[in-house]
Amino acid sequence: MAAQGTSRSGLSSALPLLAPAYLWLTAAIFLPLSAMVFFSFMTDLPLSGKPWAFTLGNYAAFFSQSLYLTLLLASLRLGLEVTLWCVIIGYPAAYVLAKVLKGRSREAIFLLVILPFWSNGLVRIFSWAMVLREGGILDTALNAVLPFKINIDLMYSYPAVIIGLVHSYVPYMVLTCYLTLQAIDDSLIEAGRSLGASRLQVLKRVIIPLSMPGLVAGAALIFVPVVGSFMEPRILGGRTGTFYGTIIEDQFVAVFNWPLGAALSFILLAVVLVILAVASPVLKRAA
Amino acid sequence: MMTTRVLEGLGRFYIGLLLTFLYLPIIIMALMSLNVSPFYQLPFEWTTEWYASLWQNDQLIAATWNSLEIAVITTIICVVLGSAASLALYRYDFRGKKFLQALLFPPIAIPWLITGTAMLIFFFGVGIGRGLFAILLGHVALALPYVIVVVSARLQTFAPELEEAARSLGANQWQVTARVTLPWIMPGVIAGGLFAFAVSFDQFVVSYFLATPGQTTLPVEIYAAIRKGFTPEINAVSTIIIVVSMALMLLTARFFKFGGEK
Amino acid sequence: MAGVQVSNVSRSFGAHKALDDVSIDFADGGFYALLGPSGSGKTTLLRQIAGFDFPDTGRIAIGGESVEHVPVEKRRIGMVFQNYALFPNMSIAHNIAFGLSVRGEAKATIATEVQRALDLVQLGKLGERRPHQLSGGQRQRVALARAIVTKPRVLLLDEPLGALDKALRVDMQIELKRIQREIGITTIFVTHDQEEALTMSDRIGILRDGRLVQEGPPEEIYDRPKSEFAATFLGDANIFRGDATGNGIRLPDGTAIAAGVGDRLAAGTKASCAVRPERIRIATDAGASSGNANTLKGQVSKRIFAGNNSTYFVERAGQTLKVIVQNTGIDRLAEGQDVMLSWSPESTVLIAAS
Repeated sequence: MAAQGTSRSGLSSALPLLAPAYLWLTAAIFLPLSAMVFFSFMTDLPLSGKPWAFTLGNYAAFFSQSLYLTLLLASLRLGLEVTLWCVIIGYPAAYVLAKVLKGRSREAIFLLVILPFWSNGLVRIFSWAMVLREGGILDTALNAVLPFKINIDLMYSYPAVIIGLVHSYVPYMVLTCYLTLQAIDDSLIEAGRSLGASRLQVLKRVIIPLSMPGLVAGAALIFVPVVGSFMEPRILGGRTGTFYGTIIEDQFVAVFNWPLGAALSFILLAVVLVILAVASPVLKRAA
Repeated sequence: MMTTRVLEGLGRFYIGLLLTFLYLPIIIMALMSLNVSPFYQLPFEWTTEWYASLWQNDQLIAATWNSLEIAVITTIICVVLGSAASLALYRYDFRGKKFLQALLFPPIAIPWLITGTAMLIFFFGVGIGRGLFAILLGHVALALPYVIVVVSARLQTFAPELEEAARSLGANQWQVTARVTLPWIMPGVIAGGLFAFAVSFDQFVVSYFLATPGQTTLPVEIYAAIRKGFTPEINAVSTIIIVVSMALMLLTARFFKFGGEK
Repeated sequence: MAGVQVSNVSRSFGAHKALDDVSIDFADGGFYALLGPSGSGKTTLLRQIAGFDFPDTGRIAIGGESVEHVPVEKRRIGMVFQNYALFPNMSIAHNIAFGLSVRGEAKATIATEVQRALDLVQLGKLGERRPHQLSGGQRQRVALARAIVTKPRVLLLDEPLGALDKALRVDMQIELKRIQREIGITTIFVTHDQEEALTMSDRIGILRDGRLVQEGPPEEIYDRPKSEFAATFLGDANIFRGDATGNGIRLPDGTAIAAGVGDRLAAGTKASCAVRPERIRIATDAGASSGNANTLKGQVSKRIFAGNNSTYFVERAGQTLKVIVQNTGIDRLAEGQDVMLSWSPESTVLIAAS
């Protein structure tokens, strides 16, 4: 029988239940984001008592001083590199979990892989300091094995930032890819093989295309926060860890130039929205 | 020609490497928090003095209490508001519903750096300022979309006939909700609540911009300590946090399948 | 207990007319089947009576009281759902107690009533179990007990046996009928299974495309269908089409068929005759037709043996006719054999062309 849905319609019945949640989101997310745009066009905060006026100066600063653009590009490159490493490391892991491992151990291992993602990110970044520093575990362990003396001191370097960020975000890639890979019916793979395709051909022509939504979702959800990261570069990058995110942080906690910080934030938001918009057709198919 | 057995062996080995990469630094940090040398020197000598000294650190203890309080209040508010919103989105059809559902995405997807600085500006502008109340406002907003998503996912598995059956037996809207619908979505509500707790308790970025020296949370306090220099005390408190938040997520996994159905 | 009157009810979903001016009178204490193919509107009609949906136009009354604007929970009906819709979070006893409990009955009353209902459906000892611990047939009984324990005015069943396998289905049909007789409740039963409708109900309503095609006792509908659709949907029928002659029809090739049942139609109008396959005699020689007014020659094209009977497909003038013969152990006909078909006018129903 055609399910003629319960046509209990009406915004009026839904509103009392919806209003509290959405009012909260408006007050604490959507209005602040709008306010940020507004403030980015001001010379100074109206609250500080100092005179203020509307200006394009904050945006002019971004385009006139090559520093900001350079840092934005550096952050975008960081985002790309981290995302790439997450794909290289995470996709095979998701494939193994979804298609190679069988039985009950699979669910437990999957949980183990994604568990760190939901634990404290700050602390996990900090834990790398123990490993990467001179005289740290990596240094000591390698010197114990190798016949010659080497000096590993990755701490406060670009690779350290990459390692920390990949460690932080790779479970996300495993999660999204696992979900799409698991949804691929095994009989599709068997059908491909029965038609004479090798494992590699099946992977290239059946599995990867079908799991593309998971890959894109993972990539977007990793790339975006990495471009806006500041705590990770600060802890693991030290002086080399100056990126677009840390410059924004500085405007708010060190330099106290909030309007400039707002403008820089808004530019980042625009970049993020463009990326999400480009990814969204693929993401919608995944949903 | 690779056999399935070889492939499976390779697969297990690869996953083993990945797990090592994911857990090694955490394990080393935990070990170092139990090592005597404050400069992380080997050989390893067992001590619990760093944990003991945590109890003397009033600032850290105060921040921990703040974190717990905010996380508990955030959880309660999010569970109530989030469940109500999920029910409304499940039960009723109306113009703009798709838009409201799409609105849940930006708070999850926009980097916390942007959200956090925007909150700072706005709360300052409207006179709320910084501090614990501002942090609470922010945490609820960050966690709410997760709760709605998780509870809605649970509602997807709910058969509408159950509500119809209850109504045909004479139950009114409140009785239907309290006695049939809520018991069914309870695992989703619990999972959503645990998510909300985790998002709040582990939240660093937004808290960082909204905290003031007296009114701060544990992650913000730890960040400040890290930037001053590494000490075994930080290892100790970090170890505690990571154990707590992983335990929390293991608990969540009992109520919410991360890997979808199967 | 109460009867249900549906008067001129129409309901549209967008451009789709789910119910089109339907009127049926369900008498007090009767067992009705609403029969029809998917999308015929039978479930929509049941949901209108239940109160999950409301008619665009028309009236619905339960026990003489108009209920078009009364919500489900105030209608005092009992409903059994296709997938049972047992509350998974409650024990069997709590499922059955639900209706009494939301009404605020005393605990002691509830306990007695629940036990009585459990006994009625012969599940006396399973009260503490959970729905998932029960078999399909047991869940079905629980759903029924839950629906009747509140002493509703009318019992509505939406394809309640659809999810059961054949053998269990027959058991449940008998069981359902027994319980219905025992408590004497007006029962409206939606099904797409014609056999179920025939064996269980006092009256059947056949729906098609949102319209009520025919309504009456099973024997009447089977023996005197008023449309080709009714004739072929409820049971099997051979349909002959031609022009009305006054006492039957004339086929395009000139053969006359005499009809003893059905409406009188003006000579010359388009008409059909319906003949049930089991009413036709099949024989190899012309003499066997003696006494039967209607005879046709044909050739057996196929025979399907089904144990107690055989179905013969007979080709005749481009039409395939179906004949069912009881297995008497003799006169088995081979495929390709020429045969003579014969049947009486009393077995022939005259139907106006639709």
